[in-house]
Amino acid sequence: MAYLLQQLLSKSAGKHPDKPAVWARGRSLTYRELEERSNQLAHLLRKHGVQKGDRVGIYFPKTVESLVAMFGVLKAGGVYVPLDPQQPAQRIQYIIDNCAIRALVTTRDKLRGLDPAAIRSVQFSVFIDGANGEATSQGISWAELANFSSSAPPEDLQPTTLDLAYILYTSGSTGRPKGVMLSHQNALTFIEWCAEIFQIQPEDRLSSHAPLHFDLSVFDVYNAIEAGATVYMVPDDALLFPATLAKFIAEKEISVWYSVPSALVHLILHGNLKAQNLERVRLMLFAGEIFPIKYLRQLAEMLPSVELYNLYGPTETNVCTYYRVDRAQLPNMEKIPIGRACGNTEVFAVDEQQRLIQPGQTGELYVRGPSVTNGYWGDPEKTHKMVVPNYFQTHYEEKMYRTGDLVVLREDGDYDFIGRRDNQIKSRGYRIELGEIETALLSHPGVKEVAVVAIPDEEVSNRIKAVVAAHEGATLTAAHLQQHCAQRVPKYMIPDVIEFRETLPKTSTGKLDRVLMAASR
Amino acid sequence: MADKAKIREFILEVAQGRGIESVNDDESLTENGIIDSLSIFRLVSFLEDNFGIRISDEEIVNENFQSVNSIESFVAEKQSKKAAVQR
Repeated sequence: MAYLLQQLLSKSAGKHPDKPAVWARGRSLTYRELEERSNQLAHLLRKHGVQKGDRVGIYFPKTVESLVAMFGVLKAGGVYVPLDPQQPAQRIQYIIDNCAIRALVTTRDKLRGLDPAAIRSVQFSVFIDGANGEATSQGISWAELANFSSSAPPEDLQPTTLDLAYILYTSGSTGRPKGVMLSHQNALTFIEWCAEIFQIQPEDRLSSHAPLHFDLSVFDVYNAIEAGATVYMVPDDALLFPATLAKFIAEKEISVWYSVPSALVHLILHGNLKAQNLERVRLMLFAGEIFPIKYLRQLAEMLPSVELYNLYGPTETNVCTYYRVDRAQLPNMEKIPIGRACGNTEVFAVDEQQRLIQPGQTGELYVRGPSVTNGYWGDPEKTHKMVVPNYFQTHYEEKMYRTGDLVVLREDGDYDFIGRRDNQIKSRGYRIELGEIETALLSHPGVKEVAVVAIPDEEVSNRIKAVVAAHEGATLTAAHLQQHCAQRVPKYMIPDVIEFRETLPKTSTGKLDRVLMAASR
Repeated sequence: MADKAKIREFILEVAQGRGIESVNDDESLTENGIIDSLSIFRLVSFLEDNFGIRISDEEIVNENFQSVNSIESFVAEKQSKKAAVQR
C-alpha cells in the first residue's frame, strides 16, 4: 500500500515501464521516463539546497514536464505549489512570498515576468525550456538533469504520509489568496477511494481538463498514475472551443473525463457531439458547481452508456461526497444531490444550535477523516476558524472541517447543496471570495465604497458585478477599474459589469444591501 | 474596412473587460485571454447579428478566431459565400 504519492509512480513504472504515462502538446513520456526524470530532478533539487518540507513552485503552462516537476519535488521531500501561469504577477509574487518558495521550476519567459525584489525567498530556478548551457547564476537548464542518478530517488529523507505534498491557493475573503495545505495522506485517501469505486484500469485514458492549481487535477494525474493508465492534458484551443474539445475526446479515445459542469455545458451546447465517436467514454465525473439539471439530462441523453457522477468537496477536503446519477430518476429530478460521504470520510450537518440535523432540515456541512487539511499555510487564525475541534468527540481531541456550505439532508440520506453561509461564490467552477475582489477594487485611490455581488447564470453558475461609489472628484470608468483588477486578481475574478452610484444602497440595519444590488441592472 | 473597425471595437471592449488596454490586429486573442469560454459565444452572436451570417459550432475554432485579422477574413469569406449563393 502506498503511503506517499510518488510510490504510486514507482509501482506503475515497475509494472508498465514502456506505457505512456502522460501526453500533452503532442509529446508523451513513458512510465520509465517519468520515473527516471523525476528521480533526476529530485537529486538536482537536493543538490541545490532543497530540504525536506521546502516549498517548490511549479510555474509554467501544463505539459509533460508538469508531472516530472510534481513527482521530482515530492521525491526530493519537498512540497510543490502549482502557480497558475495565467494569473497576474502580483498575485503569484504574493503566493511565492507567503509560503516562502525556495525554488521554481519554470520557463525563462515566466520568470522574467516576476519582480526579483518581490520573490527574495527563491534561491534558484530550474528552466524546463531553452537550449543547453544557457544557465545563468540563478537558472539551471533542464539538460542538467542528465548529470544526476535516474535509478532511484534520494533515500535519506524518512518521509511519512503526514508530510505535506502540495499547497493549493484559493481565493481568500480578506483580500489575499490562502494556501490550503494537503498531505500525502489527504490526497491518497481520495485517490485510493477513486481507484476502488471507479475501477481505473491500465487501458483507461484520463483527460486532464482542470489547471494544476485546481484540486480537480489531483484525480486526473494521480489516479492515472495509480492505475498505470495515461493522462491526456487537454490542449489550450480545446479548452476554448467546444467542437475542438469534442474532437480531442474522440481522437484521443478518452475513457474517463473529469471537469467542472460549465465545461460540459459548453460541450453539450456547442460541441456538436453527434458528429464524434465518443464510444470509448465510460465515465464522466464533474465537480465544483451545481450541474443545471436540464443540461445534465441532455448530457445523459447524448451519452447513453456513460456513468455520470457528481463529486463535491472544498479543496480543504479534496472530495468528500459523491452522487451516482440514476438515469431512471433523472426525468423527475429538480436538482442533482451532492450525495453521501466517500469512503474513509464522514460528513454530517448541524443547525445553528450545533445539533445534528434531521431529514428535511437545513444545516452547515462538516467533514471529518484523513482527507481533511491541516489548515492554511502561515495562517493559524483562519485555520482555527475552519478546522475546528470535533465537539461530538468528547473523549479525545479531534479535528473536523466546517465547509461553510448549507445543505439539506434528504429522506434517502443524500445531501442537497443549497448555498453558502458567506460571500463565497462559484463561477465556472472557480471558487471566488467576493471580498478578495472588493479588496482589489478598494485599493484604487478613487474608490470610496464598493460591493461585489454575484449574478446567477445558468451556464457558468455566476457572473460578477461590482457596484462602486467614487470619491468626490475622481473620474472612474469600468474599463479602468477592470484594468486595475487585472493586475491583482485572476481573470475569472474580474467583474463582468461595473456600475457606478453616488452611494451604495444600505439595508435598515446599515449593512450593504447586496440583494438589491444583485437585482438591479 | 468598416467591418473590421466594428470587429476591432467589439474585441477592444471585451479586452478592456479583461483588463487589457489595446489589441493589435494580428495579436493572438486566445493566448492573452481576451477570448475565453464566456466571451467566445458573445463574439459569435455579435458577428451573426451584425454581419448577417450564420456560424456553425464546427466553425468556432482557433483558426477562425485567433486574431482580429483572422476573424475579419473569416467573416469576409462567409459573406462572399453567402453572396455567391444569393446570385
